[in-house]
Amino acid sequence: MQVSDWDDLLGTAAAEVLETMFFTAAYPLAEPAESTAGPRVAAHLDFAGTPAGALTLSVSEPAVRVLAANFLAPDEDGPVPASQLGSVVCELANMICGALLSHVNSDALFCLSSPELLPDGAAPPPGRPTRSLTLGEEMEGDAEDGAIDLWLALEPHAG
Amino acid sequence: MAFRVLIVDDSPVMRTFIRRIIALSGMEAAELLEASNGLEALNLLQTQWVDVVLTDINMPVMDGAELMRRLAADETLKTLPVVVVSTDGTAHRVEQMLGLGARGYVKKPFQPETLREELERVLGGAYAS
Repeated sequence: MQVSDWDDLLGTAAAEVLETMFFTAAYPLAEPAESTAGPRVAAHLDFAGTPAGALTLSVSEPAVRVLAANFLAPDEDGPVPASQLGSVVCELANMICGALLSHVNSDALFCLSSPELLPDGAAPPPGRPTRSLTLGEEMEGDAEDGAIDLWLALEPHAG
Repeated sequence: MAFRVLIVDDSPVMRTFIRRIIALSGMEAAELLEASNGLEALNLLQTQWVDVVLTDINMPVMDGAELMRRLAADETLKTLPVVVVSTDGTAHRVEQMLGLGARGYVKKPFQPETLREELERVLGGAYAS
């Protein structure tokens, strides 16, 4: 499988998870974002198998609030507590990775690590994201407010 | 008819999401219990009866596969229906968990109605409103 196929599947898997579990339409950008500025919530997980690799997810803080509200449907009293935003991003990363690997090869056995929340201000992986998506209609303000960026790293023997 | 569901997942937000989906499914009469790993679930099942267990696989302390083995080895719990809810939808993993005795398998991401249908199937449909 070509690397570009993985990249395409990553975008597909992310959009599928966002639509199905977060009731949110997300639109893959034709080109990955050039910058990932602004407040972010990010998570990382590794997976073992053939191939092995790692996935990093970085979501703008305004987008996390939208996703968390859709996912958890909190009481009308207020927004999702800040303490839960990181958990939502970790779960999103977990599901995107699982969906990606299920698409890639349904006969293989993969093991996913538990997603880890990256500390505030942690540098993103080097280079531009593998895939970038944006939340469209639900976001107000700048386009960057809806940013969702994904970095996929595969071990070299991926075929 | 009221029924009792034990949700086993190390992610509190996923447990909340599953609670929400079950409520949305029209099964509001359900009583929902929670555990954050297999060992916690086993301890809870020593004192509380449930009609079905929904469990993740990848959890700290005791994962879903070991939970299945422990349930199968327990005379009083071996007939308890278990549905796996996991991000891992690979054929190998599904086969493994069904081989350990899981009655159903729901792959994340899932449509809300998929979880409802699986619960109805496992519970025999009598519990659905």
